[in-house]
Amino acid sequence: MKRAIRIAAGEALVLTANRLLDGHIVWRDAEGAWNRSIAHAAILAPDTYESALDSATQSAQADGVVGVYEVVVRPGTIAEPVSVRERIRAFGPTVHPQFATELDA
Amino acid sequence: MNAPVGLYQYQTADREFLASRIAEFEGQVARRLSGDLTEDEFKPLRLMNGLYLQLHAYMLRVAIPYGVLDSRQMRKLAHIARRYDRDYGHFTTRQNIQFNWIKLEETPEILRQLADVDMHAIQTSGNCIRNVTCDQFAGAAADELMDPRVHAEILRQWSTLHPEFTFLPRKFKIAISGSPQDRVAARFHDIGILARPGENGPLFRIFVGGGLGRTPLVGHELFDSVPEADLLMTLEAVLRVYNAYGRRDNIYKARIKILVQALGIEGYREAVRHELSRMDPSHYRLAPEVVAAIRARFAAPDLTASPDADAVLRRDRQANPAFDRWVRSNTLPHFAPGRIAVTVSIKPAGGIPGDATSDQLDRLADLADQFSFGELRITHLQNVVLAHVAQDRLYALWQVLNEIGLGDANNELIGDIVACPGLDYCALANARSIPIAQKLSARFADNALQEEIGKLRINISGCINACGHHHVGHIGLLGVDKRGEEFFQITLGGRDDDKSRTGDILGAALPEDDMVDAIARIVDRYLSVRERGEQFLDTLSRLGDAPFKEAAYETV
Amino acid sequence: MKQFNLGPVRHPAPATLDIVSVGEMTDATRAIRLSPDFDVETLGSALDHLDLIIVTFPIFRDGRGFTQARALREYFGFAGEIRAEGHLIPDQAQFLWTCGVDAVQLEDDTDTTPWLRALTLFPVTYQARLGLR
Repeated sequence: MKRAIRIAAGEALVLTANRLLDGHIVWRDAEGAWNRSIAHAAILAPDTYESALDSATQSAQADGVVGVYEVVVRPGTIAEPVSVRERIRAFGPTVHPQFATELDA
Repeated sequence: MNAPVGLYQYQTADREFLASRIAEFEGQVARRLSGDLTEDEFKPLRLMNGLYLQLHAYMLRVAIPYGVLDSRQMRKLAHIARRYDRDYGHFTTRQNIQFNWIKLEETPEILRQLADVDMHAIQTSGNCIRNVTCDQFAGAAADELMDPRVHAEILRQWSTLHPEFTFLPRKFKIAISGSPQDRVAARFHDIGILARPGENGPLFRIFVGGGLGRTPLVGHELFDSVPEADLLMTLEAVLRVYNAYGRRDNIYKARIKILVQALGIEGYREAVRHELSRMDPSHYRLAPEVVAAIRARFAAPDLTASPDADAVLRRDRQANPAFDRWVRSNTLPHFAPGRIAVTVSIKPAGGIPGDATSDQLDRLADLADQFSFGELRITHLQNVVLAHVAQDRLYALWQVLNEIGLGDANNELIGDIVACPGLDYCALANARSIPIAQKLSARFADNALQEEIGKLRINISGCINACGHHHVGHIGLLGVDKRGEEFFQITLGGRDDDKSRTGDILGAALPEDDMVDAIARIVDRYLSVRERGEQFLDTLSRLGDAPFKEAAYETV
Repeated sequence: MKQFNLGPVRHPAPATLDIVSVGEMTDATRAIRLSPDFDVETLGSALDHLDLIIVTFPIFRDGRGFTQARALREYFGFAGEIRAEGHLIPDQAQFLWTCGVDAVQLEDDTDTTPWLRALTLFPVTYQARLGLR
């Protein structure tokens, strides 16, 4: 199930999902482990992310995550998602600052 | 029997049913974790227990059948917010409460806690008959013809785990009111029911095929006077036609309104009549003794009030203009002398519409005990009603409400904004609804200014699914996504009363940054052009939308 | 495939019947398989010589088979066996039985424990309490 994604120059991809048990948002690191913070996400090149996505999707049940998909980001010290939606997923709801995601978790 | 006022008192069979339902759900969770159920199979099952996987976590939507709950249930909701969530709950536009930070692994335990106070989350989501909504002033309003709650409870029971209608083409929402003032948006439901007394028992006027969402349509009258005995039979026939013929190939065309549109109301009525002609009435008849047995499980409050209650209220109003303003905006006449129905605004200036902290939930429960027979209602405008307050104690109630930050005098005024959770919490949304609601309510915080502006409802939806009911807002805002950025489309002139219509799109969508100013310019223009005695909708229908369009796009 | 009976089958069909689609039906046909969009009313008097009707579920979320089964029993008095085939989950067992389905076809390796459990979970339904059929 490939989705059409728009990637501009300088942008890359990270993989995300929700944890099955508690629903929390997680990001996939270079070792294939799922982390709470986008700061640990492996930055994937547009031409190579598909194999990582395939393997993450295959092992989702074993890894205890659901709904694996890719997110377009601007790489940096902490990858920043391009869309408002994914920024809210990465950093927390804008209306409850006290619920912001801890990025060094 | 020490029944709670205003809602059905559970008996052993109801409690055994809930225990079975929780055991079933625990089994489903176990099968999901073991991989016996795929996520695709598990999803509809958890949804039918109110559990969504939202943007940040699981969200649990708890049913408040016909919007009525008692103080012990409210305290339990406060406890769940405190213990399993992040200390708050969110009242929705369908009289439910949602918790946004729930864990799947804790959900069976939460459901057991709810069951302890005869509550559940059954059918608050999924492609089934959803929690039935009702007039928030049922059994209290002076204008009411018939208290619809007994029949709302019957509909709740009838629709719960219905063997034939649990895997419908799409969700199915039913609302019922007993007032000629349609306070439930009956014409915007899959089925809307207006109840009234007849010579030989209740009669039900049934609308079908209304709805908001992607294709907003006003429902059509299917039957004018269905007698009580035939109520369930008629609904079964309506659902059977829908289950058999509703579209399943396209999720956006799967609601009953699309089928009604395709067949025409005459065609749909014909199909329902054909079903009815084949049904054996003895299998479906709603017997008077069944109704009576359910009615007997509702306790009636003793509404006697002190003979000078109204005089005391008159004096209190004269003594305090702010209180007087609140009484004007936030109360409704009660049928019982000396009593009054109160809408507690959950829309403080700059606040999140419908959000209440655990402490506020607890305090509301206390107020219900002290002022309204321990009974509360949640409104589809995301507020709370205390329905039976003695007029001579209204001032005392208002003082406490002010202490806990819920004393705003803005019911049905511009600060009484209806908003969905939007992109901050919802996985479907395109744009954030809450920040705009917060900025607008802060901008128009002054209660005197709000009264001066008059009846003006703003509804905000973060996407086309329209949970914020933007189509029926006098001013509606719809969030749209433009390349990952938030824009809003404005509609004017929507309403969900007996003159129901959907709003008209004003023009191109504006960026999120410009929204609050654009709405303020529309309101300013209205204040400058309205004639004496006019409300916003009157001015709009007299002048059309041209002046407002000009104002909205002034600086663009 | 194996057959799992949801309860005492009302009138078990013989095991060796040829099952055909509605379009292939002849006067000698005793067992048919319905597609979910089929209007059972059009079977008419053909029902009288059928022993087995199979309702199909392309996916478990498609609930048309419930209405077909119920119409067969209730409107047309079909007394033979109704069987359900396709994508079904144990959580639907009691709904199927209540709507008039006798049995489901399962893969040979399907564990029937959850099916058995589902059938006993809700001894009393709200519909029955309201005095509905």
